[in-house]
Amino acid sequence: MARAEYSLKLQAGSGSRIKDFLNANLINILAALLFLLLAFFLLYPIIAVLIKSIRGPSGFTLEYYRAFFTKNYYYRSLFNTLLLGTINTVVCLVIGFCLAYMTTRGPYLLRKPLKVISLVPLIAPPYLFALSLIILFGRNGLVTRMFDLHWQLYGFAGVVISQTLAFIPLAYMMLENTLMSLNPNLEESAYDMGASEATILRTITIPLMAPGLLKAALLIFVMTIAEFGNAAILAGRTPFLAPDTYTMITGESDFNMGSVLSVVLIAPCIIIFFVHNYLLEGKKFTTIGGKPVASEPRKITPIIKIPLIIVTTMATGAIFICFAVVLAASFYKILGVTDKFILANYLDFTSNQAIANSIRVSFVAAVIGAVIGVLLAYVIVRGKFFGRTFIEMASLSGFALPGTVLGIGYLLAFSAPPLKLTGGIMILALNCVFRFLAVGVEAGISKLHQIHIEIEEASADLGASFLTTFYKIVLPIMFPAFIAGFIYTFMTAIVSLSAVVFLVSPGFQLAAVKIFDAAVYGEIGIASATTIKLILIVMLCMAVLNYITKKTRLGSGLKQPVA
Amino acid sequence: MSGEAVEKPMLILKDVHKFYGNNEVLKGISLEVKEGELVTFVGPSGCGKTTLLRLIGGFTEISAGDIILDGKRINDLPPNLRDTRICFQNYALFPHMTVAENVGYGLRINGWSKENIRARVNDLLEMVELQAFGDRMIDRLSGGQQQRVAFARAISLEPKVLLLDEPLSNLDANLRLIMREEIRKLQKRLHITTVFVTHDQFEAMAISDRLVVMRDGLIEQVGSPIEIYERPANRFIAAFVGYVNFIDGRITSIDKATRSTLVETEHGRFEIALEQDDIDQGDDVLMVVRPESITLSLDFGIKRPNVVCGTLKSYMYAGSLAKCTVVIGTMKMIVDQYNPSDAHHFKQAEKVEVEIPRRVHLLKKKR
Repeated sequence: MARAEYSLKLQAGSGSRIKDFLNANLINILAALLFLLLAFFLLYPIIAVLIKSIRGPSGFTLEYYRAFFTKNYYYRSLFNTLLLGTINTVVCLVIGFCLAYMTTRGPYLLRKPLKVISLVPLIAPPYLFALSLIILFGRNGLVTRMFDLHWQLYGFAGVVISQTLAFIPLAYMMLENTLMSLNPNLEESAYDMGASEATILRTITIPLMAPGLLKAALLIFVMTIAEFGNAAILAGRTPFLAPDTYTMITGESDFNMGSVLSVVLIAPCIIIFFVHNYLLEGKKFTTIGGKPVASEPRKITPIIKIPLIIVTTMATGAIFICFAVVLAASFYKILGVTDKFILANYLDFTSNQAIANSIRVSFVAAVIGAVIGVLLAYVIVRGKFFGRTFIEMASLSGFALPGTVLGIGYLLAFSAPPLKLTGGIMILALNCVFRFLAVGVEAGISKLHQIHIEIEEASADLGASFLTTFYKIVLPIMFPAFIAGFIYTFMTAIVSLSAVVFLVSPGFQLAAVKIFDAAVYGEIGIASATTIKLILIVMLCMAVLNYITKKTRLGSGLKQPVA
Repeated sequence: MSGEAVEKPMLILKDVHKFYGNNEVLKGISLEVKEGELVTFVGPSGCGKTTLLRLIGGFTEISAGDIILDGKRINDLPPNLRDTRICFQNYALFPHMTVAENVGYGLRINGWSKENIRARVNDLLEMVELQAFGDRMIDRLSGGQQQRVAFARAISLEPKVLLLDEPLSNLDANLRLIMREEIRKLQKRLHITTVFVTHDQFEAMAISDRLVVMRDGLIEQVGSPIEIYERPANRFIAAFVGYVNFIDGRITSIDKATRSTLVETEHGRFEIALEQDDIDQGDDVLMVVRPESITLSLDFGIKRPNVVCGTLKSYMYAGSLAKCTVVIGTMKMIVDQYNPSDAHHFKQAEKVEVEIPRRVHLLKKKR
């Protein structure tokens, strides 16, 4: 009798209607809430930009687009941007390939050091390279003065060089990943059949890498044309879309034209996104299982070896020199001009104030970003509702969108009621949250894929309600993902420039913007010292992440055998 | 059986060493492989067999010693200049090429004309019974078919030595038996000197002219399957190539004329027909008793030579064979009873007799 009553009670639920409703629908409620957040903080600003670009004082107009496509200046800006993207992509791929080839196929001795130097730029804000180029080749640059040169750093060449250096790590990581996933036995088989190094490359390695190469090329192209810092600092009078958007807004307060430039900048991103999906549909060369063996070093023939060595030495050397000169410059008012060793740059009040502000903003952004990221990941992986794919795409898209677009978008969307946020810390933090949402979401998704749904089902099977399961099982397991999302968001937010540069108010300076301003106004010492401080903060974050990873086995975590 | 092979060494390894840093994975390997012979490197994982194969292929640099192929030292030749071809465990077929392109890859690289390539590829595909599959992409083949393609590609250039690295380990059990027979048949027909690597001792015995049993970077024993199974050099090999019962004992007498030998053990005295020369009276020995050589019968209490009584602990009937565990004193003995027609008797039996055969291999214990 008691048993029957108990099972009846189970069927009837806990008795509280609200609780039952929550248990049954929590994941959908969660999804709806997150959808609203995404819509409001990600889609709405973008739509605001689109609308601004087609709405003049007297309603709908295509006048601004007509202006864009007829004025020579804008046309040049577009052309320069696309050319920059193309050159950058090609050069980065070549350098990235050489580095990846050496660290996966080259002599053991060189693998580790090359890898470390290739990845080092990741700890620095990308505009570090613009800064170091000014220190070396600017009007008062070390090299310029040493040889009494009269060249012009500011312009196309300067932007291309700094951008290339900044995107080497991305190219390297993607290509290294592709090369590592190639079964080394394939190349060895070709080698065994009598193929020379060059023949192996031509007939086996590169054809098999093609999907990976294409993917890397598209991503680098999108990222470089949208990148703001290096172009803004070094472009001089050469027009580029991203910095022009900035001047259009801050210099001329022309929001309409600024919006048009942004839309033009988004267009290639969207086109490439679809091209990428279409081209890579099912184009993955899977190789037959078996133990993956790390490639043993090959005796690389001189024809291949010499170019490899030249390229890798030059690239890693350049990266090394750039870091070294920024470090050196941080101890002088202007390195090479004044030769008095000072610490004043590090003690500079405005710089430290900006760093403190950056930490505050990034911290808030990281907390919110990690929470939303984990929840989004859960909804994306476990949810079964209409629009799931849309939520996934939206939450991952922020990263690929040009920062300038979200910068203007936030200005347009949140500078007036219903939600007036401009001038405060929240607009900066929220902007970072939704721009870098992909970081937390990716961390969460990869963690969730390690947890079999059976664990949750087992919990439910033992009688736990959805709320209990979520609270007792899912959240604890997701906690490492939360930490990872937090630290990654923090690191990314603290160095980011392109969107927040639109949103900072005069009384609330951020470190990235401070560096940008100082570099533009020739305060090289301050800019360098602030950069070094940012690098130290990022390194600290990585150390903490590393420590936690080791402590909690966050990386490997609860790995379940895949059925 | 191995007498067919021409007595000319095709591949000679002389005191081969391999270090990875301070870790010595090959500790002095010397071996001769005759022309047309199929030699198998077998041993537990980590014994260095795959490293040795890669070393012969040229993928791993030799630390010390010599590799001589058909009379020429090839230590410093890269794989593309060595006349050896390897067939990897995962086949390493090029996924962006068709079956015919895979098989013809080596021919193309070596500058064959288009017509010659087509003819040769056709022959090879016919040989491995894949004539109809030339235009298929690799991922549209079954595991066994991929294995055949890999084999065809490896022999396309008629190498002096063919290296097969666990070629059957990705196939299911039935297919593995079929493929190993096919590989052996083709190898014999084409008379290709072959080095085969496997961790499966039964596969090794079934396919090889000679086995090279390796452990811990050293060769433990080289010999024909029969030699290795019936006359293992030591305890490790005896246990590695099949299940074995060891019985400790001491030689109490050897009849000079008949070689009839008495071994005194904890479980009684056994009479052995001694076939070895290295054993003398008074030696401590280990009797190597294979489960299938023991005769199991019901205990009727009649004393006979070489028979000991025991308790039947388990009797697992599996059709063609019954696996039994007999406890004799402190010793657990495994007995394989083939063709167990009177199984029902043993099902209920407790007291059984175990007869140790006269032909038993003895391992001399070191003092």
